[in-house]
Amino acid sequence: MRLRDFFSVDAIDLDLSTETKDETLKKLVGLFHLDEKSEGILFKMLKRRENLGSTGIGRGIAIPHCRSLVVNRLRVAFGRHGAGLDFKAIDEKPVHYVFLIVAPPLEVSNQYLPVLGKIAQFSKEADVPERLAAVENAEGFLQLLEEKGV
Amino acid sequence: MHDQLETLLEMQDLHMQRRALDEGGVRELETGLFEMGAEQAIDALEAKITELELRLGKSNQERFRHLISTRQRAVVPVLAGVCYGCFVAVPTSWAADADPNDKLNVCQSCGHFQYYPS
Ligand SMILES: [Zn+2]
Repeated sequence: MRLRDFFSVDAIDLDLSTETKDETLKKLVGLFHLDEKSEGILFKMLKRRENLGSTGIGRGIAIPHCRSLVVNRLRVAFGRHGAGLDFKAIDEKPVHYVFLIVAPPLEVSNQYLPVLGKIAQFSKEADVPERLAAVENAEGFLQLLEEKGV
Repeated sequence: MHDQLETLLEMQDLHMQRRALDEGGVRELETGLFEMGAEQAIDALEAKITELELRLGKSNQERFRHLISTRQRAVVPVLAGVCYGCFVAVPTSWAADADPNDKLNVCQSCGHFQYYPS
């Protein structure tokens, strides 16, 4: 399983200009092109998960995630925010890199946890924040995932 | 989307989150990497489920409770014209609606509420 196979170029936004955490979650959910109601439900679930504890894991990285029936397969998106967002992260530092993961409640191939785990593993690598900052386009982001062997 | 369907979907998602915290892998990740307080999270999820339940009509509330406790899921997706609660094809007249989620559909074969993912 390779992480890059789960990302499509149109679900990568390297120039987020959102002002808040909520706005950012909405923007990233929008990359999945669901209908309006489904987007609303998904946003609510992600918010609810954030209310249980921030998914900002430190070093400028956040991994919002949830399961919901409004998606029929595992979906992932990535967003980069130059100025940084207040995500109430564990280290209280601004978040610049957001990996969004959503999956249906039951998946045939059960990829949700392994994908979440791989993103976590990738995020823990020492040089990842600076490498993500330097990525020039979506293709470069996918190459970075590949290079890191996740 | 039918408002009761929206509530049912939300409740089911919350039940799934709640149950997931009993699974080793999810709990480990949530309490480890994300430093979540699992017991507090469980209390918060259960309180929200109780609150949402009040929005359902009595018969939907009973159907939901029965399905979630006996068959894990109350709402199942319909994918490619097939109900994923029983794998029986859905009558074509249902799926042909402009937005089938505007109605609250219950499978005639397995009794699950149905949802059509986009
Ligand atoms: Zn059925």
